Amino acid sequence: MADNHATASEPKRRHRVEGPKKHIISFIFSIVLTAIAFALVMSGEMNTMFIYIMLIAMAVGQVFIQMAFWMHMKDRGHMYSIIGIISGVFVVFTMVIMALYWVWW
Amino acid sequence: MAHAHAVKRYSGLMDWLTTVDHKKIGILYLISGGFFFLIGGLEAILIRIQLWKPMNDFVSPDTYNELLTMHGTTMIFLAAMPIIFALMNAIVPLQIGARDVAFPFLNSLGFWTFFFGGVLLNISWFTSTGAPAAGWTSYVPLASPMYSEGQGVDFYVIGLQISGLGTLVGGINFLVTIINMRAPGMSFMRMPMFTWTAFITSALILFAFPALTVGLVALMFDRLFDGNFFDPSSGGNVVLWEHIFWIFGHPEVYILILPAFGIISEIVSTFSRKRLFGYSSMVFATVLIGFLGFMVWAHHMFTTGLGPVANSLFSIATMLIAVPTGIKIFNWLFTLWGGSITFTSANLFAIGFIPTFVMGGVTGVMLAAAPADFQYHDSYFVVAHFHYVIVGGLVLGLFAGLHYWWPKMFGRMLNEGLAKLTFWTFYIGFHLTFFVQHFLGLIGMPRRVYTYLDGQGFNGMNLVSTVGAILMGIGTIVFLINVAVTAAKPKNAPADPWVDGRTLEWSIPSPAPEYNFAQTPLVRGYDALWKEKMDGNKGMTPAEPLGPIHMPSPSILPFFMSLGLFIMGFGLMYHQWIFTGIGAALTFGCMFLRSVYDDHGFHIDPDELKDKGVKA
Amino acid sequence: MSELSHVDGQLPHEPEKATLEGRNKVLGFWLFLGGEVVLFGTLFSVYLALRDQILDGPTPQELFSLPLVAIATLILLTSSLTSVFAIQAMHRNNRTALINWLIVTVILGFGFLGLEIYEFMHYAHMGHEFSTSAFSTSFYTLVGFHGAHVAFGVLWISLLIAQLFKKGLTVVTAPKVYVAGLYWHFVDVVWVFIFSVVYLMGKVG
Repeated sequence: MADNHATASEPKRRHRVEGPKKHIISFIFSIVLTAIAFALVMSGEMNTMFIYIMLIAMAVGQVFIQMAFWMHMKDRGHMYSIIGIISGVFVVFTMVIMALYWVWW
Repeated sequence: MAHAHAVKRYSGLMDWLTTVDHKKIGILYLISGGFFFLIGGLEAILIRIQLWKPMNDFVSPDTYNELLTMHGTTMIFLAAMPIIFALMNAIVPLQIGARDVAFPFLNSLGFWTFFFGGVLLNISWFTSTGAPAAGWTSYVPLASPMYSEGQGVDFYVIGLQISGLGTLVGGINFLVTIINMRAPGMSFMRMPMFTWTAFITSALILFAFPALTVGLVALMFDRLFDGNFFDPSSGGNVVLWEHIFWIFGHPEVYILILPAFGIISEIVSTFSRKRLFGYSSMVFATVLIGFLGFMVWAHHMFTTGLGPVANSLFSIATMLIAVPTGIKIFNWLFTLWGGSITFTSANLFAIGFIPTFVMGGVTGVMLAAAPADFQYHDSYFVVAHFHYVIVGGLVLGLFAGLHYWWPKMFGRMLNEGLAKLTFWTFYIGFHLTFFVQHFLGLIGMPRRVYTYLDGQGFNGMNLVSTVGAILMGIGTIVFLINVAVTAAKPKNAPADPWVDGRTLEWSIPSPAPEYNFAQTPLVRGYDALWKEKMDGNKGMTPAEPLGPIHMPSPSILPFFMSLGLFIMGFGLMYHQWIFTGIGAALTFGCMFLRSVYDDHGFHIDPDELKDKGVKA
Repeated sequence: MSELSHVDGQLPHEPEKATLEGRNKVLGFWLFLGGEVVLFGTLFSVYLALRDQILDGPTPQELFSLPLVAIATLILLTSSLTSVFAIQAMHRNNRTALINWLIVTVILGFGFLGLEIYEFMHYAHMGHEFSTSAFSTSFYTLVGFHGAHVAFGVLWISLLIAQLFKKGLTVVTAPKVYVAGLYWHFVDVVWVFIFSVVYLMGKVG
């Protein structure tokens, strides 16, 4: 309400159009990380635990890039988004530990 | 009204079905939550009548199982949660100086899904296979299709799923409202305690309810579509259900109790005429309780056999929660200390809350000691413990809040004499009912069993417990009489009926007008209204000139969306795919309409405000 | 409130955040995604707890075909990129480009869904049905939940495309498009974990 007046009067000020470049770079990063993950599994030579850790690392890295750039979480004004997602991840973390260690005891 | 769109204003029943006004939705929550509270209370009294003497045959064992299952489920999901939402809806936007909630439409949707979910669950009483009878925790394999034939548990699964959706939507609404809609100057560390607790509770709802959603989906797949999540013969795991249920269920306990903490903080401070002692430590304790609440779920499962390491970790984490809770107790005592205390009915409930809740907390720490828990587990000691925190904590808190904010919600003061009678009958009845249950548990009476044998020393204490339960019932009836008597009186409550109101809701007329604040107030400190009073000002300083106020238009769509889910639920349960389709079509059709037709709302002109007697 | 933002007849740079309603919608949706993280996290936990309970059914090594998963991954990843381009077009106030990118996104979404349906039918044919074992039940529930999210997203974005045609890009439609974009990225992020945890780890054993 009160702040609408403010935003309505400043459409021009920050009007720099960002190019697609960094998004394409993010895309290439994602593809490369995906390819490494698939290659690791297809090679089929390595220790299972090592592959698991690598797979999770590739997935987390890729998701981090996508959330930061494509979902704009690196930009200003995303504090509550970050808190929201991190809190969710925290709950999930405890649940995964539950599933891996305690269910079959 | 130059640019106002013509919006149809409904009256009567249609007004209530279509309303998106948070204050009216609050009243709807209160009425339906209160109704389910009466049903759950009736079930409790029937349980106590069955147990008043050994080998009683007042109800059959099967009926007893249904009663105790529905009592727990109804009280937690359909009575306590909605009444909390009633107070949050009625008060939180007023406390932060907002004209409305962030999502008025979703707010209404949240109410109607809760309502239809609750109705669906209770319809199970009238089916041939009866109500769910696997306990409110619905543990498998008892709740699996093999041991719970018939539709009972299906009603539990689908009813809770639908009402859980409503709760989740409501939680998101309050989070965004509190983050985005605060009045100028209302920083986070100036927010009243009740708003803070509403905020943390909403966050817990957001992160706990999805786990329940998945658990219920899994149980539904097992029961309706031959899934194998919890079927050991096909590789499923029954302990998995316990984990999922309590990963949701333990935060749920804090979802329930935190708003009560907030209510008590407001009331104790107001009626001591003192600033809340240790406000920032209160905020810190609330956040910490919310955080720790997610790491203690397995203390419900000590006897499942998680092993000594897990049991020790969860034991310690659970005991840690006593620290922030203790901070709160001491802060309330120090707020009362040296204050000029008025013993209004609301304050009686609040002060009665403190020792009662401490007792529930102490038994909680006892239960948190894993080796001792092997003795207490599944005995009446546990029943006594959680009734001390939920009835002695939450319900006393809710009664306190209702008596305190009743004039703000309805414009009428509750009768103080009747209110005090409610307090004394309910409070004494409560302690009679549950105090003896500690000892019943310690001498070995198991919970959830429909009767007991003579000569075990259970007889006398069970009789006392039943008498206490009836006294609590009388207290509730006195409250209903009070409500009826009050409703017949004129609406003449002043804006600040307790004279010592500290927060923003007391700066506007009782009941609040539909736009809440004619001019958004400027907040200059914690306890915003009290600060203005101390500075000798008559009311809040407005932060904006008088202008047209934008309001959202009423809508019937939330009602039909929820009705669609209700029909879909029945279709799924009885494998009637036509009904499932009709329900889904109704729900998605309403979503489609909501998306396609923009809601322009309407404006209330400044002239109109003056007509209604807004004081400058 | 939409009137206020059209005072100068031009859309602000970030139209999704121009009104309080828009900002509420974006924030509320982010929080909803936080809840969705827990929803999928629970499904993953359930899958991890039950993935070894195969009984007489086919093993993940026999079932999963990596080329199929790779194609599905590529499709969904590309659709996430095209939805970024759509939001960029929206920020340039270029409605035609916005609609075109959204259409590409929807087509890719349908492609992914088609692959998934084919895959599920193939598995069922191999004796991997919903009720075969705890592994199969949790597999279909996790991957099916994701598929249902994709299906919902495809229908939702299609509806938004229709609205953009009819109403144009305004401060009312912009937050809807922005939020749908967030949703689509989230669905892609979940898929990253599904192909890593379910398919690739399943293939390793």
